[in-house]
Amino acid sequence: MAGAALRRLMAEYKQLVTNPPEGIVAGPISEENFFEWEALITGPEGTCFEGGIFPAKLIFPFDYPLSPPKMQFTCDMFHPNVYPDGRVCISILHAPGDDPMGYETSAERWSPVQSVEKILLSVVSILAEPNDESGANVDAAKMWRENREEFNRISEKIVRKSLGL
Amino acid sequence: MRNLLVTVATLALTVVVVGNAYIQKKQFYPSVVYITKSNPSMAVIYLQALIIIWLMGKLMQKIFFGELRAAEIEHLIERFWYAITETCLAFTVFKDDFSPKFIALFALLLFLKIFHWLAEDRVDYMERSPIISWLFHTRIVLLLTLLGVVDLYFISFAYHHTITKGASVQLVFGFEYAILLTVIVNTTIKYILHIIDMNREVFWENKAVFLLHIEVLIGFIKVALYMCFVALMIKLYTLPLFAFRPMYYSMRNFKKALNDIIQSRRAIRNMNTLYPDATAEELAAADNVCIICREEMQAGAKKLPCNHIFHVSCLRSWFQRHQTCPTCRLNVLRSSPDSQSTPHAAAPPPPQIPLQNAGVPPLFAFPAWQPPFFPHMPNVNIHQANAPNVGEFQRQQQQQQQQTQQPSQPQMSASQSQPFSSESGTSQTPGAFIDSSFSRQFPFPFMIPPIPPFIPGITTPPLPPQNWNGLSLEELRQMEDTGRRGVEARLQCLRNIHTFLDASVILMQQYLTSATITATSGVTTSNVGSQNNTSDSNKTNETVAATNLSTDTSEPSTSQTMFSNQSFETSSTSNSASDKSENSNQQNEFQDKLR
Ligand SMILES: [Zn+2]
Ligand SMILES: [Zn+2]
Repeated sequence: MAGAALRRLMAEYKQLVTNPPEGIVAGPISEENFFEWEALITGPEGTCFEGGIFPAKLIFPFDYPLSPPKMQFTCDMFHPNVYPDGRVCISILHAPGDDPMGYETSAERWSPVQSVEKILLSVVSILAEPNDESGANVDAAKMWRENREEFNRISEKIVRKSLGL
Repeated sequence: MRNLLVTVATLALTVVVVGNAYIQKKQFYPSVVYITKSNPSMAVIYLQALIIIWLMGKLMQKIFFGELRAAEIEHLIERFWYAITETCLAFTVFKDDFSPKFIALFALLLFLKIFHWLAEDRVDYMERSPIISWLFHTRIVLLLTLLGVVDLYFISFAYHHTITKGASVQLVFGFEYAILLTVIVNTTIKYILHIIDMNREVFWENKAVFLLHIEVLIGFIKVALYMCFVALMIKLYTLPLFAFRPMYYSMRNFKKALNDIIQSRRAIRNMNTLYPDATAEELAAADNVCIICREEMQAGAKKLPCNHIFHVSCLRSWFQRHQTCPTCRLNVLRSSPDSQSTPHAAAPPPPQIPLQNAGVPPLFAFPAWQPPFFPHMPNVNIHQANAPNVGEFQRQQQQQQQQTQQPSQPQMSASQSQPFSSESGTSQTPGAFIDSSFSRQFPFPFMIPPIPPFIPGITTPPLPPQNWNGLSLEELRQMEDTGRRGVEARLQCLRNIHTFLDASVILMQQYLTSATITATSGVTTSNVGSQNNTSDSNKTNETVAATNLSTDTSEPSTSQTMFSNQSFETSSTSNSASDKSENSNQQNEFQDKLR
């Protein structure tokens, strides 16, 4: 009997294929390994990331969905909630109890109710509205607060780069 | 390519060094002596040894693992640097024994460690892969056997060495290999469990339990080993700094595993004894899908005190991590005393509290919040009377997720609301805090607009809904009704706010014009005193009006944000980050308008 994690990932993949959310594509990199996914996220309209297509990889733990996956952008990304190496730092990617950024409660943390789709939608929403309380990238958070023009200029460059221009 | 170049270059260097020595000395032993006496030659020999080890590593990797995955390499490199640091620290303790043999032994230890880590990662990977080939099994079995035998050999060697020749650096090696042996034992047990699991036709519920128990056992052995080692080292040498980091981690893991086992046993016992099995109707009502595994529930589903239904097996494995409801995060251990009193009650008692108030028109504490409209009223008793309502507003904001229940809450007194806030220590009596802040502000009507007491960033994030799922259809309909009335009333409030805002804008404009008039007239007219007096009183009057308006609008603005939050929540993308920014945006908008 295949593991519970594998079956759940297959179910989620099927769900994402049959009923894809707008602006998001995600799936396993190879049929051999369902625990490494690639996702493409379209920059939300009306934001400085509009028009960009950002690739990211998702690594699932073997006890998924009991533990959250890890997500990392594989393109350049300059954003308050994304580490300079591309790792995404949002509260639903952290299990209750581990507290890298000092979130106050466990209400917005990982639980099996969350899914790949919800994670990706959350990422889209932080692209639109960074949460500058968790400063994964302090420079970006500072620039987002104090020098929005410069931030927009950099994100525009990132958008162009993500499109291969 | 670069690796090949380095290998070839080193080989060439070695040939040169050895050839040079042989040409000079013509015989084997003198050449060896010559090489060992010359530092540059020794450096080349060391480099060559390193390259040989590396090549052997590559070869073993090809034999036992094939291609390494990116995650494995990352993991390996991370651990490797720690191991290097610790080895260097260990050198400082045994600097007297320092010799080529000593370095070779440490290099071998590190080399074997790498394979232990890789074996561990590979066995973990088994669970993730849909297809496991025979090659994989052969490799893992061979590797585990080989590593186990090597570990045992080194342990017995270290033991005999220490017994016959007294304590030496062999103590460290013996101990390190003992730790590695626990890793091998752990990995082997996991491997066996995975194999059993893969050959079963049905889901194996007890696997996670076994794994947890084994983790505790191995953790205990490791901690005991580290304790002995540190004690011995302190007695014989000095403080073994190099063992502290791994010791700390193994202690932490052991503590966590032990804690997990105790908590999860309690939660699982609760589940088996206290929570009722879900009935067929309940399953149908919850569209029959277990949110943990996303599979259908037929039999063997349990209902938690919060009325959320899951597979028994899924719940069990979740309870091994966290003892909360996956959907609403109700702490099942803390809530168990309630359910103990009524073990088989289908619906928990709490929903009755809001229903007592369900008949009362919702939210309309708000129109009653009038003091700011009448600036000259003695406001002390009025604001006291209203303070509980203010408190309720804040609480409401905290409990945004309790959407349906919300409208009926503002009518409740603070004491009535206590049962709801029992989950969080933070929302104890918000009314008291607001009360004092208001009494500080209101006795002085001629003040700049008070800062709105509800700064969204400060309020604690929403509490999970706890009990409204347990309501019958009838009750739900009733609540929906009050909910709709609440929304209508809120819309009305928003309209009011709009009017107030318009009025305040007009007032501000008047104030500005009169201020400029005062400024100019103050310069031009000789009759300064009287002019100033009148314009001053003008100004103060307007400030009063503005103050009142802004206090008033700051009040509704919370309900405004709350309202938008609700619609946001219902759109089911509950992302708190955007929630918060939504809040602050709203707040900013209002403040902008006020300006
Ligand atoms: Zn399930
Ligand atoms: Zn629940």
